[in-house]
Amino acid sequence: MNRKSIQTAKRLYTVLLILFMYAPIFAMIALSFNASKFRAVWGGFTLDWYQRLIHDHVILSAFYNTILIALIASILATLIGTLAALGISVLPSRSRTASLAVANIPMLNADIVTGISLMLLFIACRIKLGFASVLIAHITFDIPFVILSVLPKLKQSRQRTYEAALDLGADSWQAFWRIIFPDILPGILSGFMLAFTMSIDDFIITHFTKGPGVDTLSTCIYSEVRKGIRPEMYALSTLLFVLVLLLLILINYQPAKGNRKGVKRLVLSRVVPGALILSFLVFALFYARNDTAAAGQGQVIVYNWGEYLDPDVVAQFEEETGIHVVYEEYETNEIMYPKIASGAIAYDAVCPSEYMVQRMIDEDLLYAFDAKDLPQSGNIGDRYWKISGSIDPENRYFVPYYWGTVGILYNKSKVKEPVDSWSILWDKKYKGEILMQNSVRDALGITLKYLGYSLNSTDLDELHEARDMLIRQKPLVQAYVVDQVRDMMIGNEAALAVIYSGEAHVSQAANPDLAYAIPKEGSNVWMDGWVIPKNAKNKDNAKKWISFLCRPDIAKKNFEYITYSVTNEKVRDLVDDPVLKNSPILWSTDEELTDLETFRYLGKENTDLYNRLWRDIKSH
Amino acid sequence: MRRRSWLAAPFILWSAAFIIIPLLLIVYFGMTDGDGAFTWSNLAAMAEVDNLKALGLALLLSLSATLICLILAYPIAMILAERRTSSGTLIAMLFILPMWMNFLLRTMAWQTLLEKNGVINTLLHVLRLPSVTLIYTPSAVVLGMVYNFLPFMILPLYTVLSKIDRDVLLAARDLGAGPWQTFLRITLPLSTPGMISGITMVFVPSLTTFVITDMLGGGKVQLIGNTIEQEFIQGSSWHVGSGLSLILMIFVLISMAFVAKYDPQQSGSLIGGGGRE
Repeated sequence: MNRKSIQTAKRLYTVLLILFMYAPIFAMIALSFNASKFRAVWGGFTLDWYQRLIHDHVILSAFYNTILIALIASILATLIGTLAALGISVLPSRSRTASLAVANIPMLNADIVTGISLMLLFIACRIKLGFASVLIAHITFDIPFVILSVLPKLKQSRQRTYEAALDLGADSWQAFWRIIFPDILPGILSGFMLAFTMSIDDFIITHFTKGPGVDTLSTCIYSEVRKGIRPEMYALSTLLFVLVLLLLILINYQPAKGNRKGVKRLVLSRVVPGALILSFLVFALFYARNDTAAAGQGQVIVYNWGEYLDPDVVAQFEEETGIHVVYEEYETNEIMYPKIASGAIAYDAVCPSEYMVQRMIDEDLLYAFDAKDLPQSGNIGDRYWKISGSIDPENRYFVPYYWGTVGILYNKSKVKEPVDSWSILWDKKYKGEILMQNSVRDALGITLKYLGYSLNSTDLDELHEARDMLIRQKPLVQAYVVDQVRDMMIGNEAALAVIYSGEAHVSQAANPDLAYAIPKEGSNVWMDGWVIPKNAKNKDNAKKWISFLCRPDIAKKNFEYITYSVTNEKVRDLVDDPVLKNSPILWSTDEELTDLETFRYLGKENTDLYNRLWRDIKSH
Repeated sequence: MRRRSWLAAPFILWSAAFIIIPLLLIVYFGMTDGDGAFTWSNLAAMAEVDNLKALGLALLLSLSATLICLILAYPIAMILAERRTSSGTLIAMLFILPMWMNFLLRTMAWQTLLEKNGVINTLLHVLRLPSVTLIYTPSAVVLGMVYNFLPFMILPLYTVLSKIDRDVLLAARDLGAGPWQTFLRITLPLSTPGMISGITMVFVPSLTTFVITDMLGGGKVQLIGNTIEQEFIQGSSWHVGSGLSLILMIFVLISMAFVAKYDPQQSGSLIGGGGRE
């Protein structure tokens, strides 16, 4: 090979690798111009999402938090880390090794362990989970990156010159500033940059250490995964990407030789990036001002599923009552539960599922307030009170709000036969075309139903039979999914999926080939609703909040926003959209409801048993 | 000079409060049951068949990802180090830049590329080639690991390689070594610290990941990180979760010992202070 072809090969390799790194980013940028809300469908070019982004308070304040946390954390970490490097470098070798080992821990430890261990610490010390706890966590995992980039520079610094300066009469402070500091400055700067990057990119540790009302982009995105990422998020990422790329190019800008120290270079590589960053921060700060609403009538701390309320509803409540709403979201009942049980945060109103409510009642975590006597409780249909009565017999704790069923969503162009039984999920014809729910209770529940048992079975033989069924099914399954079902079915990725009715409706509206069926063997009916934890500090405000949500006009707004079935009997009359009004999935009759079973909390031992069986299936 | 050591005090206090004590809490949870009584059973949970399988698969996939990263990163680090101009640093920065885009969004974007009707398969279809199953396989998970952690391999390698004195390489040439020999006898040994630090920086996060597996493995691939996450998040047991994390930490300790042995000066640390002298 001659020189030239070697050079070409090198270029080609670099380009290919860069393409690999940027392929998903290009996909993201493309999605930010996609007129369709769904990832799987290309609906034409639009700039709409960029326009909407400007008014999207949730995303912008999450963005602001991300920047602020990353900035403060990396500055403090740079300070502590640089001092530490200076100190560590002169320690005796054994203590130096020990300190370095400690510094390595957060960098090498699994993020999930770091995050959880910090959460345990905060809960144990009764430190409120919030902005400060996230900041502490970020500083903790940022410090090692600073130390490890300053130390090598320190080692290369001019120690002899430093000592000479001392001999010549400089005091140690002067000598340090004039000699050592310029030497280690590049290390400090790159440590800072690295710490900042790590902070911005972190999800897991923030996820475990954050509290109500504090969201970074990562946690915001994670909670959106449930209902699909809003394209505004892609728009923001695209803008961010372009900005950073621009900065990078400017800072590294090298004009032609001879002009190296020219004004042009100074302006382009220092002044312009500085101005860009500054205007960016001012922009972020501007949005932060909107963040601190005045609390006139006190507050109510709401803990709800992600994307479960129309955001306008929160604003409307604040306006009408003067009560400030602190709003926090979770993704599963099981993430919510330990936070309530530990009492780490005193939430005022929480929206768990029925089986979790039952567990919380059993464990005496809830406040009894005669749910049926709230001013607007009368709007909720009796049949729903009856269902919730199975876990809360006197209706004292729980106001049912949303409900839904679990069934099969199928693609009529791929499934020609009628779908009326769970058995179709075991049909070899559909190998690789089946999506199952990635959740213990749902997967085992429908299998138990198919076998003719209760979905709350604790009988070991029945459960083993169900497990073996699911293991046999595994080769046919394309994927076990939670949130992605909707997008995947809309994009014709699979023929059959186990799905919640609310998601089924949304999918069907986007892709008319889809149809929903509840198998004849029976299924699950779930119910999410409002409770007030016993340790709530603003119980009266919480009641006002719950009652407000039960008002027909408010319930209608929420219904139209999330399109899950509501328990509010007055909503259907108010809905204008004929598709929503006449959807057979979203409304059902008494008879349809009676065949269905709710989940019950089965106690710790049985929960462990279920989880063990599920792991058997997943690792088979 | 000695007096300077007190500068490390804030760091020592900070790490005692937010690194050591939290770790001790994990140890406490890992060694007790729900009533606070001492038990080994949480640690022993790792010996259960399904957990061993998850650990084994995690080791297999993360070792493959590490190896692929090393193979991909070494040539690029050499190419960049050869340039010895700021364009080398610029290109190296290009590999960090994607990390500024959110990790979850990037991984989700891979779904768009790999899906059955995704971008890649659509392209294959246009070219009249048969479509391929890419997503929801262990390979997709490995791809996700390689993609997310490749910068952690490139940067330390780039740092050590650009520090190698050119004169040493020229001297080897003058003394009759061929390019291959120079590489094996000079470049490779001198880059060991960077390799070691790159390997740990890729291996450990790959070993413990659960997000990548969830998004690209379609829930069909169960790694030990997923098991631990489920213990904590899906409401089973914090005690078992802590116990499993403790076992997992053994691998982290082994990695740290590796670093200490082959790179005692930390010269191959992630960025080593920005590269060239």
